[in-house]
Amino acid sequence: MTKARSARTTVAALLIVGVLLFPLYWMVNASLQPSTALLETPPRWVPLGGTLDGYQDALSGQGGALLNSTVVAVGTVLLTLAVAVPAAYALSRFSLPGGRTMLFALLLVQMIPGIVMANSLYAVMNTAGILNTYAAMILADSTLAVPFAVLILRAFMVTIPRALTEAAEVDGASPLRVLVSIVLPVSRNAVITSGLFAFLFAWADFLFAVTLNKDDAMQPVTVAIYRFIGAHTADWNGVMATGVIASVPAAVLLVVAQRYVAAGVTGGALKD
Amino acid sequence: MPSKRFDSLEAHVTRPLTPRPVPARPAARPACALLAAGLLATACSPSSDEGDASVLTSLDYNIAEPQNSATGQMLKACAEQAGVTVEREELPREQLMPRLLQGASQQDLPDLMLIDNPDLPQVAASGALVPLEEAGVSTDGFYPSVLEAGTHDDTLYGIATGVNGLALFYDTAKLEDAGVEPPETWDDLRSAAEELTSGDTNGLAFSAIGHEEGTWTFEPFFWSNGAELTQVDSPEAVEALQLWSDLVEDGSVSQSAVNWTQADVKDQFVGGRAAMMVNGSWQLPVLAEEDVEYGVVPLPVPEAGTEPAPPMGGEVWAVARNGEEREAKAVEVLQCLVEDGNMTEWAELNAYVPGKEELARQLAEDDPGMAPFVESVPSARSRTAELGADYPEVSSALADAIQSVLAGDAEPEEALSQAQESVPAS
Amino acid sequence: MPSHRLRGALFLAPLALYIAVFFGYPLATNVGMSFREYTAASFYTGEAPFTGLENYARLLGDPLFAKTLANTVLFTAGSLVFQFGIGLALAVFFQRRFPLNGVLRSLLLVPWLLPLVVSGTVWRWIYDQEYGVLNQTLLGLGGAVERLTGWAPLGGEGIAWLSSTDMALASVTIANVWVGIPFNMVILYGGLQNIPRHLYEAAALDGAGPWQRFRHVTWPLLRPVTAVVLMLGLVYTLKVFDVIMVLTNGGPANASHTLTTWSYQISFTDLDFGTGAAAGNVLILIALAFALVYLRSGRTADEGGAR
Repeated sequence: MTKARSARTTVAALLIVGVLLFPLYWMVNASLQPSTALLETPPRWVPLGGTLDGYQDALSGQGGALLNSTVVAVGTVLLTLAVAVPAAYALSRFSLPGGRTMLFALLLVQMIPGIVMANSLYAVMNTAGILNTYAAMILADSTLAVPFAVLILRAFMVTIPRALTEAAEVDGASPLRVLVSIVLPVSRNAVITSGLFAFLFAWADFLFAVTLNKDDAMQPVTVAIYRFIGAHTADWNGVMATGVIASVPAAVLLVVAQRYVAAGVTGGALKD
Repeated sequence: MPSKRFDSLEAHVTRPLTPRPVPARPAARPACALLAAGLLATACSPSSDEGDASVLTSLDYNIAEPQNSATGQMLKACAEQAGVTVEREELPREQLMPRLLQGASQQDLPDLMLIDNPDLPQVAASGALVPLEEAGVSTDGFYPSVLEAGTHDDTLYGIATGVNGLALFYDTAKLEDAGVEPPETWDDLRSAAEELTSGDTNGLAFSAIGHEEGTWTFEPFFWSNGAELTQVDSPEAVEALQLWSDLVEDGSVSQSAVNWTQADVKDQFVGGRAAMMVNGSWQLPVLAEEDVEYGVVPLPVPEAGTEPAPPMGGEVWAVARNGEEREAKAVEVLQCLVEDGNMTEWAELNAYVPGKEELARQLAEDDPGMAPFVESVPSARSRTAELGADYPEVSSALADAIQSVLAGDAEPEEALSQAQESVPAS
Repeated sequence: MPSHRLRGALFLAPLALYIAVFFGYPLATNVGMSFREYTAASFYTGEAPFTGLENYARLLGDPLFAKTLANTVLFTAGSLVFQFGIGLALAVFFQRRFPLNGVLRSLLLVPWLLPLVVSGTVWRWIYDQEYGVLNQTLLGLGGAVERLTGWAPLGGEGIAWLSSTDMALASVTIANVWVGIPFNMVILYGGLQNIPRHLYEAAALDGAGPWQRFRHVTWPLLRPVTAVVLMLGLVYTLKVFDVIMVLTNGGPANASHTLTTWSYQISFTDLDFGTGAAAGNVLILIALAFALVYLRSGRTADEGGAR
């Protein structure tokens, strides 16, 4: 590709991203305007003569919530991958009796309404005596991510040519060894994708967090924002500022992770 | 002290999955030793500190200021007075009912709970609440209408520190510019709203959202015209809905009202996009912080001289059956919450009407902005008086009818006759 | 090779345990509730008389059932088609190498970091009939068209995106497509990356154009990933709750209720938990039907892929 062409592609990509992220721009725009400006016609396209009041209001007391969200989201990623990777490997490599039933169950359990899950998990965590802990939220959030991760990982793993693993098995490698040294490196993309979504599911969860946790010091960003909205019904710029603040650290994390994924992909390509 | 929870420890049985047999409370619950083995089967009894009556729990949805701090401080002070500590939990409103049900299924209800009065019968019907008069709570001096809002099956289960109601707020400058007087009758309202509508400004705003918030905004119109919740398709009901429909047809009220909560309505008013609004007294402290000059009058009635009939709004404190000792302490805290001094303080801070007549009269004198709300309390109606635990279903059918009419999909008569199907035959 | 299989089963065991602990109980609860007269009081007393299929009969007999079912179908089909189509187009587009590719791709995921109550509120403003930026833009364009041609496409009135019963469902679907695009794009992008480059090179040597390469290389090899994305997309779309509740609350006049939001309303507004659970189970049945189709298609795809 020539330089000019790839520059043109970048411009096109910027346009696409711009259109898709317009609602986010609108959020940032709203966060910088006084609340009543939202009702103006024509709308203020850019926050000229804006205000930083919203950020002042929002900045107080979000730090702890961001940390909580991060701990819960990272914990969810680890737990999810620990359960899902071996399961997906088993489902894709061994024709197990009941394997199909398991896939079926995975699809089905995701249809249980969220509030029913929340009520039941409350009972489970209460019994286990772990309400108001990170563990409870991590376990609960992983119920969103595990079925997803197994299905995704399996879908990728079945595309790995059998010849690749069979050769190793003939050489006497144990299934665990095959998983670690052959299947995992090849499905690196899928592992990162499912880990990423486990992170996002946990980060965005509100229902489980509000159900399983009564302790203000433990609340994640979603709950903090929700409470902020409840407490500042008139203060929309503050609410939007909270939204912006809450998404910035995670967005940075995403961009960093993206670099890593990109490196992983080229690394894999070189091996081909 | 071996509490009733200990019963369940004797029963190391794992019952089959739901349906669970019907234990009369507080019968044995299966133990949960098998959780770790992944055989978790049914609701389990929690490990609770129930024996300890010096720490009470409380649940409310006052997360907005100034109610939030006021509730916290008042609970703390009253707990001290009763010689206990209260662990308060406050949740967004939509989460309150799910949390109560989760607690109920685990026999772990908060000792004190602040419930929106139309939801009280549902909770009381389960038998989970302490009858307050039996427990020695004094009702002296309360408005009868306030007590009625906390009553289920002729028994008092909930008592209000303060109540609230709806009135008509108007933008003084806009009315002056248009040379319009605050309306008193429906005809006045319709013509005033029409005159006040110009450019980006609607004459009137109200919430017609598809749940209780919309229904309760409509109820004063519905009731003051003589309609009853047992017969929602009566000619009086049709007339009331016709008024709302006309206001939207005239262009005086935005059709977006079907998506507005009362907080959105307040935003419209503050943003200068509505010259008048139907809203509650709790908006007064919010409006005080905004840059808008306003007045408040009672809601317009069908004809001059008709008695207004606003619904009784506000939350009531209730006490859960959590064992004698805890109940006694909780009642002590409750009594302190409705003491004269606390009641007045709560009312002044949050623009609620005190539940006691004498105090309310005093407040109306001190704060003219509250007068229209105080005036309406004696004639305010309990939303659940006629229907009890069936109210929520009828309320949501009524909200549907309002929405389909305002969206232009149905005529009031047909929409309401469909809503009537949700009214249980008595 | 039984010992081989046994070892495979060991890898699967944690998942089986996980499903039993975390999903068995709620699923059984929901099924159990749907056969009982389950009220708010039942949670406390445990008393819920068995009523057999009565809840299901009440549900199916409700005039709203047919409407919400149709809404569910439209919402799900509309969301899936556009999310997947746009997601795939973007995934293919980002296969190209150009500066800022990685950064832009990860930025597309940012909407997922926002709680839906925040992004939903932003959508509410965008859609607002009077001051929303969408109508303001359309009116501006309409005005320009009118000045040029004398024909006013909107008649000078904004579209009632959320407050008319004709538009509400389409509006929530559009917002939901927006939410779903990154999900489809990221997974499909991952799938595309897994297709060995030499296959494209071979196809190019054979003289295949871009469309033919997509048709004969990309599409068949992407099939297992496509199937799982569509299946998960279906499940997630059927379950969408917050987007609808924040934007329209299922209204106006139930015009944008799907079975999921309606089921919640029956349970937590009308407090009829038995019928609410029945509505939830109808959704589970729908997903079950599609899951069977998915597994069937998977069988052939696996065989193709494993070679």
